Amino acid sequence: MSRKTINIPLGAQHISLLEPVRFKFECENEKIVGVDSDVGFVHRGVERACTTKFKFDAVGYVVARICGLCAITHSLAYTVAAENLLGAQVTAKAAYLRTLLLELDRIHSHMLCLSHTCENAGFEAMFMQIMGDRELVMEIQELISGNRVQFDYICIGGVNRDITAELGKKILENLTLVEKKVREYKDEFLNNWSLSLKFKGVGALSLEDAYRFNAIGPLARAAGLQTDVRNEMSYLPYKEIGFVMQMQESGDIHARNMVRLDEIQNSIEMCRNIVNGLPEGEIITKIKGKPQGETIVRYEAPRGELMYYVKGNGSAMLDRVRIKTPTFSSIPAFSEIFLGQEYADAPAILASFDPCLSCTAK
Amino acid sequence: MFTSLIKSFLNLFKKPQTLAYPANAKPKEESYRGLIEYNEAECIYCLKCEKACPPGAILFPPVDKPPSDNEKNKKSLKYEYNPWLCIYCGECVRACPKPNEALWQSAKKQSVAVAEENVNGMWDAIEARKGIFTKNSSVPKE
Amino acid sequence: MQKIQSSLEKIREEIEGFYDQKSWHFLTLNGVALSNEKLEVQWIFSKYATPDEVVVYYIEVPYDVEIPSIADIIPSAIISQRELVDMFGIAVEGSTKGLYLDEDSMQTPLKGCQI
Repeated sequence: MSRKTINIPLGAQHISLLEPVRFKFECENEKIVGVDSDVGFVHRGVERACTTKFKFDAVGYVVARICGLCAITHSLAYTVAAENLLGAQVTAKAAYLRTLLLELDRIHSHMLCLSHTCENAGFEAMFMQIMGDRELVMEIQELISGNRVQFDYICIGGVNRDITAELGKKILENLTLVEKKVREYKDEFLNNWSLSLKFKGVGALSLEDAYRFNAIGPLARAAGLQTDVRNEMSYLPYKEIGFVMQMQESGDIHARNMVRLDEIQNSIEMCRNIVNGLPEGEIITKIKGKPQGETIVRYEAPRGELMYYVKGNGSAMLDRVRIKTPTFSSIPAFSEIFLGQEYADAPAILASFDPCLSCTAK
Repeated sequence: MFTSLIKSFLNLFKKPQTLAYPANAKPKEESYRGLIEYNEAECIYCLKCEKACPPGAILFPPVDKPPSDNEKNKKSLKYEYNPWLCIYCGECVRACPKPNEALWQSAKKQSVAVAEENVNGMWDAIEARKGIFTKNSSVPKE
Repeated sequence: MQKIQSSLEKIREEIEGFYDQKSWHFLTLNGVALSNEKLEVQWIFSKYATPDEVVVYYIEVPYDVEIPSIADIIPSAIISQRELVDMFGIAVEGSTKGLYLDEDSMQTPLKGCQI
């Protein structure tokens, strides 16, 4: 008796997709047995533009526009790489301010992912609630840097704007409100019956597979693999402000949501410690010279690990800028998780990975 | 489970969170990133703002008659700014040796460009005077 | 950052001997154009739970050789290999073109890219 399979596309245009990615699923009845993926719909040639059209001090602005949600991580990673090649140091105050904005960015990105996962499970009211509460964080970001999404806050040598004591008080007020809401959401995600039907036991990644596919970010931490770049770097003061790695064990969609909620709570705590313990000093130091040599810098974006390789040859134009984004290295892991799942769960699983295709197809 | 039912019921009596813009004005902040403003009398024509701008929105093309009798303007240049190419990052203000006297960032909003103003054609002509010809330029390269 | 040079024939055995799933994390493959005829291909690894430890294996080859694939040892390398084929035009065992670029667009944009 021959088994017939049918091909169903989860196309580049789909009602539940936020990002332009195309999967072709080979399905036998309702179970997925084969996956073929296509990324690269939004390839813009950023790596070539960074070495031909823009000088090294403008590349920080070009690179921030690769992605909307992790814009500050890209510009921070490039700026730190350029500062390494120029042999420069920034003040402690600038490092603390950079970390503050990085953690605020992580909070709003995780809230967006959680709301999108709820929408795919059919709970639209929760989607609206989380998006409405996310506005509290966007307000603080606009007051600090002037923009809601593309901050343009980091320049070579430090940061652009300072925070006053009044602004610090407003940040703490908004963060207290957000923390109260996040505790209510955690209660819902743990106890609501319809969400647990859709999330528990679906789309699981085992620890063995996480090691084999080099999984990163919340995907790996939900499966039990202890990896977080904030633990493995020394340029930013994470140890002083109380960073704690959040882990779960089951590796399914429920575990990933729990990891993200716990990370939001840890980030709020860290932001509070930064605002209360900000050191004195200048926010920007003047740097001269041209970049020479090569360097590798890694950071923890909200979706995983981001790596920059920058090579300079002593002139104003760089030799090579290589960008490795977190979703790019997770694509083999995605294709593995889909096998054996039901087709109707595919949008929910995809939303729980939190893909960012504009980062992938630079 | 019951808490979400009670919360949904109470939400019926709350105000909507939407801001009725443009019927009601949006509150303006002082930290708003607005247009770049220039004072020709204080400028020393060092051209550092032109070199620092990432998209190339500030240019100093040569003109036949200089705009004023500022003695620092030795090559007869004139300041041109394109608010629709600018990304409002403020790099030009940080590069300027006299940041609040010759060049600064205000809190004014830019206006919308309409087709009759032909802003792209005018900027292509300014770039051509500097010798920059991009691929889609409406000014042909002789 | 620690750079270790190798050669086209020996690179696969060296990576197989070096890579241990539980202690090393494979980041990506990288190509750097050195001139119009030669390019440097790098394999970048970092250690779990150790701050700032990165190891890079590299080889210098011309554009018309075939790089051996490591996708059976490290399954996540397959996507970086497809990107190398698209961007530089160099052949990698078992990888096809077409990840980012269509047939009617500019091909191999980073090959010999100098200003």
